[in-house]
Amino acid sequence: MSKKVVSEQDRRRKKAMIVFQILLYSYLIGLFLFQLHLYSISDW
Amino acid sequence: MTTTTRSFGAYDAHQDASKQAQWRADKWMIVGTLLMGTGVLGIFGLPLFFYGLHLQMQAAKAGLSVRPLIVTLIGYLVIIDSSLNSLGWAMDLFANHSLINRVLTAGWGAVFDGGYFWHYNELKMGPYTIGGAGAPGEKAWEISLILACFCPRLAAAIGLLQMKRWGQQWLIVTCWMGLIVWIGYNPNMTFYADVRYANITFPVLGWWIYDIFYITPFLALPYLHTVNREIFTD
Repeated sequence: MSKKVVSEQDRRRKKAMIVFQILLYSYLIGLFLFQLHLYSISDW
Repeated sequence: MTTTTRSFGAYDAHQDASKQAQWRADKWMIVGTLLMGTGVLGIFGLPLFFYGLHLQMQAAKAGLSVRPLIVTLIGYLVIIDSSLNSLGWAMDLFANHSLINRVLTAGWGAVFDGGYFWHYNELKMGPYTIGGAGAPGEKAWEISLILACFCPRLAAAIGLLQMKRWGQQWLIVTCWMGLIVWIGYNPNMTFYADVRYANITFPVLGWWIYDIFYITPFLALPYLHTVNREIFTD
């Protein structure tokens, strides 16, 4: 019973971590795309 | 009162054999990782590391109690990440006029990041010569991250590989520090993109391809937060 509760908690925790990672990597991809945009309008 | 050492026969023999097998594999992986952590000698370190990994996997297949593969991979990856950052940035801070630094760091800058190329070694603080990267903000990141993030992270990874509880806990702490690192470092770079990407060989794409490796330790967080803590000892 208690084992089930713990694994449920872990499952939710893992899910939250994955959502957090998706957000973080989206932010980084956003920065990357913005840098590409800057590149397209600059004379680097 | 006398103390007696009890032997548990097959169990003890299995434990000894496991310990020996783990150490044999670790020796190869440690040497490989040390070489990879220098950056320059990385290419020689990779095959040594893979050989050690192969030895560990063989030991596991033979039924010996060795460290979980995922812990080995995360631990050594973090050691390489921390060493490369600490060594590279320490050289930029303190050994910026050495030949190896002027060739490798400035050379790397010419290809990927102009912050380490344009006006290299010209940085001054008031009347004091600092040298190294002249990119705005870069020196502050170097100091803060070497001291507060990468050195503790290196120690944490060693603790993790020794299956210590503090190693696991500190790795979680420093993985979360990575959040500050990457949320802060990249915008700083983007704000000064005109300095850092101007007239270099591979602007934007080059930096991201090179640096994406450093951003991967985040991927360890779901595992570190949900792993059975009992496998790590106090």
